[in-house]
This record gives sequence, structure tokens and C-alpha cells, in this order.
Amino acid sequence: MSIVEVQELRKQYDPPKGVLAVDGVSFDIAQGEIFSLLGPNGAGKSTTISMLSCLLHPSGGDAFVDGHSVVTDSQAVKEAIGVVPQDIALYPDMSARENLVFWGKMYGLAGAELQARVDEVLELITLVDRQKDRVEKFSGGMKRRVNIGVALLHKPRVLYLDEPTVGIDPQSRRAILDGILALRDQGMTILYTTHYMAEAQELSDRIGIVDHGKMIAVGTNDELVKIVGEEAHVELKVDHYLEGMVERWAGVHGVSKAMIDEDFAVLLVQDANEVLPRLFEAAAAAGSRITEVNVTEPNLEMVFLHLTGRALRE
Amino acid sequence: MSRIRAIAWKDLASTMRNVPALAMMLLAPLALAALLGFAFGGGQSFSISATKVAVANADTGAAGAAENAGAVVVGVLKSPDLKDIVTLSDKPSAAAARKSVDDGKAAAAVVIPADFSSAIFGAGATAPKTAIEVYENPTQEIGGAITESIVGQALLGFNGARAAAVAASGLATANGEGDRAGKLAQQTAAKYIQGGGAAAAVSVTQRAPRLLGGESTKDVGVTGTILAGMMVFFMFFGANNVARTILDEDRAGTLPRLFTTPTPRHTILGGKYSSVFVTVTVQAVILLVAGRFIFGIDWGRLDAVAALTLVAAAVATGLALLVISLVRTPAQAGAIGAGVYLVLALLGGNFTGAAAAGGTYANVQKLTPNGWLLQGWDAVMRGGGLPDIVLNLLVPLLFAVAFFAVAVLRFRKRYA
Repeated sequence: MSIVEVQELRKQYDPPKGVLAVDGVSFDIAQGEIFSLLGPNGAGKSTTISMLSCLLHPSGGDAFVDGHSVVTDSQAVKEAIGVVPQDIALYPDMSARENLVFWGKMYGLAGAELQARVDEVLELITLVDRQKDRVEKFSGGMKRRVNIGVALLHKPRVLYLDEPTVGIDPQSRRAILDGILALRDQGMTILYTTHYMAEAQELSDRIGIVDHGKMIAVGTNDELVKIVGEEAHVELKVDHYLEGMVERWAGVHGVSKAMIDEDFAVLLVQDANEVLPRLFEAAAAAGSRITEVNVTEPNLEMVFLHLTGRALRE
Repeated sequence: MSRIRAIAWKDLASTMRNVPALAMMLLAPLALAALLGFAFGGGQSFSISATKVAVANADTGAAGAAENAGAVVVGVLKSPDLKDIVTLSDKPSAAAARKSVDDGKAAAAVVIPADFSSAIFGAGATAPKTAIEVYENPTQEIGGAITESIVGQALLGFNGARAAAVAASGLATANGEGDRAGKLAQQTAAKYIQGGGAAAAVSVTQRAPRLLGGESTKDVGVTGTILAGMMVFFMFFGANNVARTILDEDRAGTLPRLFTTPTPRHTILGGKYSSVFVTVTVQAVILLVAGRFIFGIDWGRLDAVAALTLVAAAVATGLALLVISLVRTPAQAGAIGAGVYLVLALLGGNFTGAAAAGGTYANVQKLTPNGWLLQGWDAVMRGGGLPDIVLNLLVPLLFAVAFFAVAVLRFRKRYA
């Protein structure tokens, strides 16, 4: 059963000529599922989350959270959701506990229930020992944990996490990802946005790939990878004449797509073992020398490349 | 209600941690009031400190006259009535008196010539013509003008008596009474002058009714007037400082996050309004108490003071929210807010006091909420009560409501 249903959601800033940030996005999320929106920066992920958080009014379409419309019943939606914004949104001159108490009150908690929930969340984000320290003294990872903790205070039915691991160390990232999986195991529904393919692959039950405000593919990791079939992802670096080489390699038998990504030529090939010698030959014939080769099995990065003609990190 | 309290308390606590902001809100008005009060003498009115005058009386007296007219002039300058206005120092010569002025030790020198008494008491056309010299320091124009005015008043008395004596003498001669009547007129004039003239016969009584249906029962101290102006002025800044947290929170992401919670937007704005209102009310109370104990200011009746304080806080809060609703960044809020508050303060009389205004300026003051408030403070400090300041409460309150209403509309549009 879907707890989140998004129907042709659309957002245009300053209509009629403004940017169309989200262009008819539809998807749904089942109860207890982790659903990731994967896409490059500017794809429309945060705008989608903002509309689902009732922070932005949709220009068109609607979305239902726990059966409530974000357009007509925003109060009920807000009671059902917890939002972890991309940037740290805390009061730095207040302690971790003071922050949690304040935000708990904003979620309608009070008295003994509020104090109990604050204690539970402090345990959950492992900051009991530092609860009286001001947030401004915390490391980036600790701030992220408090940032997430705020959204958990009222035990939301759906948790939105907007790129919660941006700019933090690997150890903190690992802790956050493990925490999210634990929340899912407790039955919480999670909408997660990221532009890190590995995070989406590891966390998600299902993934929606967005680009230029459109949902270009939705499915499980395996379902999405099948879109590119058995093609391998080959990255090649040459000593010079990269642009010319990409054009030549695009015509080599067994290469389905060739493009430039920064210093590399990125190719989708049917069988890397079979095609690689031909690529070397073509380079030699053009007077170029291949200096680096990376071969990757099919993944979401390749799906994105396949669907958009661009690398995900662009 | 508990959410409004939580937001207000959070902002209030944050303001209390902001030491520079507190200094601006509390110390600056007190320091300015003390400084301006000191500059204006710090007394019971906008008085100027006593003018230092050096006097060289070279008058040798007149033959047959019992009194020295120069000494009479010096006596006038030394009069107890003028002790708050003039401080006199006797100099042995005209040169010494002028040197006091040149050295900056005196604002003016009064040089009384040797033949002054002869000129005053001399008979008719035989009397010499002479002049008292007032030697002024050009950088202390007010002191010089005061000295000139006092000496001029004394001479007016002398000349009037002389004119009367000459007229009496002429009349007697015309009636054939000869020299005896003329001398009698001269002696009478001299006695008149020596006796201090007819100053007490006719006088002007100054009255300045400032309250409805009656006169002020108290004079208002200059420090109190200035502190009232500074308090209202810095309440604007204090309110702006707290209201600016709306923009700060918008940039920091906590305001959008608040909007994702089930707390309604009007509650969030209510919390913000409360935090600003409470902050500036506390600021005003601290300044009122400090003014009472540091400067000994008698603010007036408690109920009227409380009403003025609350209305001033409402105006400051509404205005600050309006300014914040019209700008986009905290930097704009600082710059534009300062400009708005400064113009209002200049128009409303925060730097001059409502009592000092007159004519067109008094009408201009009434275009501003602070102008009405300051007139209210003036009335209350003069002993007025709530009935005397009804308009001074209602008009600013209307301003406050209008400011807040426009701010709410702006915020609704911005955060829709």
C-alpha cells in the first residue's frame, strides 16, 4: 500500500517564463520502503521534496502523504512527515538538547512526552554525552546527526532526507546510512534524495532517476540496471586528441555510446574484452596513445548515462 | 500559545547572548542621554552653562553723584538672579579683561569707561558721550549675546531715567523754575538708578500651559527629555535587531524548516512578534529604571508611563517587522532600517525633544508615531496623566497596527 503518491507534480518559478524546476513527476512509495530520488544537482530533487513538505506550493499536480493532499491538507501532511533539509538547519547558539526541545515543541510535543522523546533521540544519534554542548561546537557529522534527530522527534510516518550526507567524513556518512537502514527496519518510510549513485544503490528499495525536472526512470536497482542491458562502462584517457578519438571510437564495432566526461572518454560497450583491442588499434591509427583504462560493470551511473547522454556527476 | 512562547523565548535568549546588540540597545541611549544632558547643563531645562564674563570697571564716578554708575552695572551682572547665567571676574584694567577673552578664559569682557558716571549723571548737553564696551569671544556667540543683552538692559534703564530727567528739567525751565528744578530732576533720576529702577513695577510673567485643562506642575529635566527621545529611537533599533532574525533564520534554513513543522505560519509570525515586543519592552523598562536611578529622572505617573512604554514597544515592533518584510537580506535590514529610523527620529524630534519644537516642526512631528509618543512623554513628565495623552497613545497605536498589517501581508506573499 502506498503511503506517498505523487501525481504529475509540477513547479514553475515565476510563471509563465520562469524555470520549470519539476515537470510532471509521478511516483509512489510503499509503507516501510526507502525510495531514493537520484539525479545530478539541479535535477529538481530538492524542489520535489519542498513541495512534498508543503514548503512550496505546486504549480500543477498533487501529492498525497498518508492520504492527505499537500495542496489542500498541508497541516495533516506536516504532522505525518519529518524533514531533514540539505543544509544544517539548527540554532548554533543553543545546545543539542535545547535544539531538540525547541523543535519538539514545534512538532506539538510537550511536557514529559517531549523530554522522553528528546532522551530517546539523543540515544539514537549517540549524542547523550554532548547534549549540553552548543551545536556550533560540533563537528560536521555531529551537526548532521542532530539535524536528522530533529526530524525524528515526533515519530513521523514518512521521513524525507534531502542529501543528508553532503560534505561529511566517510565515518559519519557510514553512521548516517546505517541509521537510515535501521529506521527502515523499524517500519519507517523514507524518501531519500542523493546524487551519489553508491548511496542510492546501497540504501534504496526503489530508485527514481530525475533529470531536468522529469522522472526518467523508476524501479529497483536491478530493474534499472537492466535498462542498459549487459553493456560495460569503459573510461579511457589518451595522451592527446581526445575529442577526435571519441568520434573515432563511436564508430568502432561493439561501442553503443561514446562521450567525453572531463579528461576521459566514456564508452558503453557490449563486451569490454572483445572491444578493448579495437579501441587501442583505433587510437594507434590516429596517432594517440591510451594512458589509462577503467572498466566498470553495469550500474546506475551507466543507466543515467544511457538515458541522458551525460554522466551523473555533471 | 506554548509554541508562540517557545519561539519568543528562543529569540529572547538569543538576543540576551548577543552582547554587542545589548550594548547598542541599553548602553548607547544612556550614554547619549548623559552626554547630551551634560552638554546642555543637565539641569531642569535646556539651560546653558553660566557664561564667564571679565569686567574692568574704570568708572571714576561723577562729581556730586553719590553712586558710581559703573559699580551699578557690575552690581547688575553680579545679581543673585543671574548667578546661573553669568559668572563674573573683576579685572584691574580693560587690557586685562580683553586678555581673558583672548585667552579663552572668558566668553566676554565688559569694559566700563572712566567717564561712565559723568555721562549718566551729567547735566543735559554738557554730559560726555561714552560707551560700555562688550568684548566678545567670536567662538562663544551665545555667551557674548547674553552679556550684551544684560548690559544693554541695564543701559536702557539708565537712558530711560536720563531721558525722564532731561524732560523734567526742560519742563521746569520752561515753567521758569530754573536750575533748582533741573538739579532736582537729575538727583531723582540718579536715585532711581541707584535704587534699581522700576524693575519691579511692571513685569512679564511667563506661562507655558502644556497639559489639557491646566498648566504643567513640573519642569522637565533636559536629561529626561533626551533619554525619552533616545529610548524610543533605540527601541526602533532594538526591535530591528530582533526582527532581523526572520531574515537570519531564512538564510540559515531554520525558518523554512519551521514551515515544514505542523506549527502554523501565523503562530510562527506571532512568536516573532512576541519576541520583538517583549525585547523592546524589557529594553524600555531597563532604560526607565536606569534613568530614574542614574539621572534621577521623574518619569511621571506609573499608569501613563506603562501605557506609553507598551505603545512605544508596539510601534517599534510593527515598524521593525514592516522594514524586515520589505528587504531581502540582513545587510539590507541594517542599512535601510537605520535610514528609516534616523529620518523618523529627525522628524519626530528624538534628538531635540518634543518640548523644543514649535511652528511647522511641531506639525511635522505629528506625522510620525515617535513624534506623538515624545509629546506624550513630555506631558507625562510634566505631571500629566492618561487623560492628557489619549491621542498620544491612540495615534501611535494606529501606526503600529498599520505597520503590522502591511508586514503580515508582505510576509504572506513572500512565504506563500
